Amino acid sequence: MSILYDEGQQAIATESRRVLEARASKDRLLKLLTTTGEVDKPFWDTAVEQGWTGLAIPEEHGGLGLSLAELGLVAQQAGAVIAGAPYLTVGYGASQALVASGVAEAQAAWLPKLAAGEAIGTVAFAEGTAPLPANPKVTFADGKLTGTKPGVTAGITADVAVVLASHQGKPALVLAELAGVTRNAIDSYDNTRLYADLVFDGTPATLLVEGEAASTLALDLLARMAVVTAHEQTGAAEALLFTARDYALTRKAFGQPIGAFQSVKHRIAELYGFVEIARANCIHAAASEGKANFLVAAADARISATDAYDTAARDTVQIHGGIGATWEGGLHLHMRRARSLAVEQGNLMFWEDLLVDHLGEAA
Amino acid sequence: MTDFEAYRASAREFLESVAGEFGKDARRGLDVEQDLALGRRYMATKYDAGFGGISWPKEYGGQGLTHTHKLIFDTEEAKYSMPVVYFGISLGMPVPILMHYGQDKDFVKERIVKALRGEEIWCQLFSEPSGGSDLAGLRTRAEVDGNGWRLNGQKLWTSWAQYCDYGVIVARTDPTAQKHKGLTYYWVDMKAPGVEVRPVKLAAGDSHVNEVFFDDVRLEDSQRMSPVGGGFAVAMHTLMIERYIATDSAGFGPPLDVFVELARTTDYNGRPAISDGRIRSQIARNHAMRAGLESITARAMLMMQAGMEAGPEGSLNKLVAVRSRQRLSELAMDLKGQSGFAYSEHNSPREDWTNSWISAPTGRIAGGADEMLLNTIAERILGLPQDHRPDKGVPFNQIPA
Repeated sequence: MSILYDEGQQAIATESRRVLEARASKDRLLKLLTTTGEVDKPFWDTAVEQGWTGLAIPEEHGGLGLSLAELGLVAQQAGAVIAGAPYLTVGYGASQALVASGVAEAQAAWLPKLAAGEAIGTVAFAEGTAPLPANPKVTFADGKLTGTKPGVTAGITADVAVVLASHQGKPALVLAELAGVTRNAIDSYDNTRLYADLVFDGTPATLLVEGEAASTLALDLLARMAVVTAHEQTGAAEALLFTARDYALTRKAFGQPIGAFQSVKHRIAELYGFVEIARANCIHAAASEGKANFLVAAADARISATDAYDTAARDTVQIHGGIGATWEGGLHLHMRRARSLAVEQGNLMFWEDLLVDHLGEAA
Repeated sequence: MTDFEAYRASAREFLESVAGEFGKDARRGLDVEQDLALGRRYMATKYDAGFGGISWPKEYGGQGLTHTHKLIFDTEEAKYSMPVVYFGISLGMPVPILMHYGQDKDFVKERIVKALRGEEIWCQLFSEPSGGSDLAGLRTRAEVDGNGWRLNGQKLWTSWAQYCDYGVIVARTDPTAQKHKGLTYYWVDMKAPGVEVRPVKLAAGDSHVNEVFFDDVRLEDSQRMSPVGGGFAVAMHTLMIERYIATDSAGFGPPLDVFVELARTTDYNGRPAISDGRIRSQIARNHAMRAGLESITARAMLMMQAGMEAGPEGSLNKLVAVRSRQRLSELAMDLKGQSGFAYSEHNSPREDWTNSWISAPTGRIAGGADEMLLNTIAERILGLPQDHRPDKGVPFNQIPA
């Protein structure tokens, strides 16, 4: 059974929307696209000031102790304004890894800083085409980490990373401070994601969890980050739906608003369907956190939200005609973000496979 | 929640106790008349056990419980393939509308209880040969006849009319008014002199829909359920219920686990088909879509329970579910290959992919064609402009035929 948002959650949604809309700037985001390694500072300052960095971190570690539902609501608003700082999701992943690990020293060293936004955390799981490699090539031995993690979100600026590595032939999650690590910055189609290859070369690291427990936790973390991203995708798709609607109401051709033509209005009505199905799945997934069906619910949310954002980006540009294809128009910001978010936290193929594996087992 | 869980348990207990008498096995090999007779006995048994009219007020013979209770019972009941299809429309739209707009309370209560017990069935007489989507363009006319009315004309696609005792009908009472404004809503006795029903055979081979002819049929003014000229609003209310109650995320086709089982047990290229990426992708996409629709419905139920109005996203159910059921049914037929050529019109579209496939077009048209639903979403929810309508503002009798 899905939840209805309570008053506190509705207030978080309204307030985060208000703050973000007031500070959103298309020109700022367009400029950031042409730079590598620069973060959208006004957005990040807002996130820190609003306490979003510590939203889902337990109170005893300096956070607000709220759940995936609240973080999802903020992510939805961040998606709507194409927020140019990637830390909400990966910072959440890093802090939740620490919370789950139970390693007190590492928790004390990093969780309060992560909660306060004084440190940036990220997650480095993927290798090659695998979002979650079964036998990572990056190795952890004698307290040191060796190997390369490609295209790590926030890799250019993060202070600390939770890394999926091999430890004595078994998977392990380890925590590495990134101060001395070589970061090969990637000049990307979506530069504010701050992608970098992280090259570990005997980097000192702390073991958090190992063996079977590490694989289970890594999948759970990936699923929870995927639910945050799904909210972000849904918020962005909804923003595009309204952008398309507003344009179709004002732009005229053949003597009437283009929204009066069924080819255009039906395309927009179909977007409404994509958005509402994704939203419903996101709400259900956030409410299923910690329950037996969580992975299935997360996969449903991730699949429908990726589909919604890709479709909304594609169709909204099409409805705008030529202006939709210009740099100035800025809709390509959404095209870019739709793709970067589709790949981060595991692509459609990964989640489709995971979902079908679960359904096949249950049958 | 324990209250609902207890209710689910009692529903299961009842269903389990009567499954042998009325369920799938008992229905095998029955013709439509025999199945309907079995269905009537099931409805009476269900009513006597306290599971009829679950969410309807007690003063009208219902159980006075919530929509959630009803949804729980319906979900459990669906697992047993009970013979309830004949009563779906009757109890779905016409009878609730009668409860809302009927003039004589005692008469209304008697009809409701008989409809719940399966003793009487109601149909919905809206579409005509000249228009289904363009409902307000209907031509059946009701003319003043002394202190009542006289009905003439023809309806089409009327489900189960051949077995019905009553129907709700929209007719034109003023051809000089604009088309939406000259309509009036009545109930009609389907056994009255001048009513003739002729079944129409559909593509699947079954004949559950009909043509209905009215030849000087007498209506009392007490049968009127809207102000004179105010019938369109009541018709819209009826259609909104119709679109909202199609809350089965499978679009009334087989559940997804039936497809998963087929893919697990079917060999393709020397491996189970469920390991084929194309099949996997379709299973995953369908699961995500159906889960979304189920979550929308669950939230709508919670909102109604909390006294709030459910969101407009409920209108997505029929639009999204039936289209995807059509494609998934085609894929299931592909998977079965040459071993799947057998067909019987008596199989249920909820259990058999071929029956689901061939009857899917009806679902995409009845109760609002896909294109009409997209228009409704675009216009009512998103505020996009109405289509160009040359007959707008024109008196009905001056619209070129």
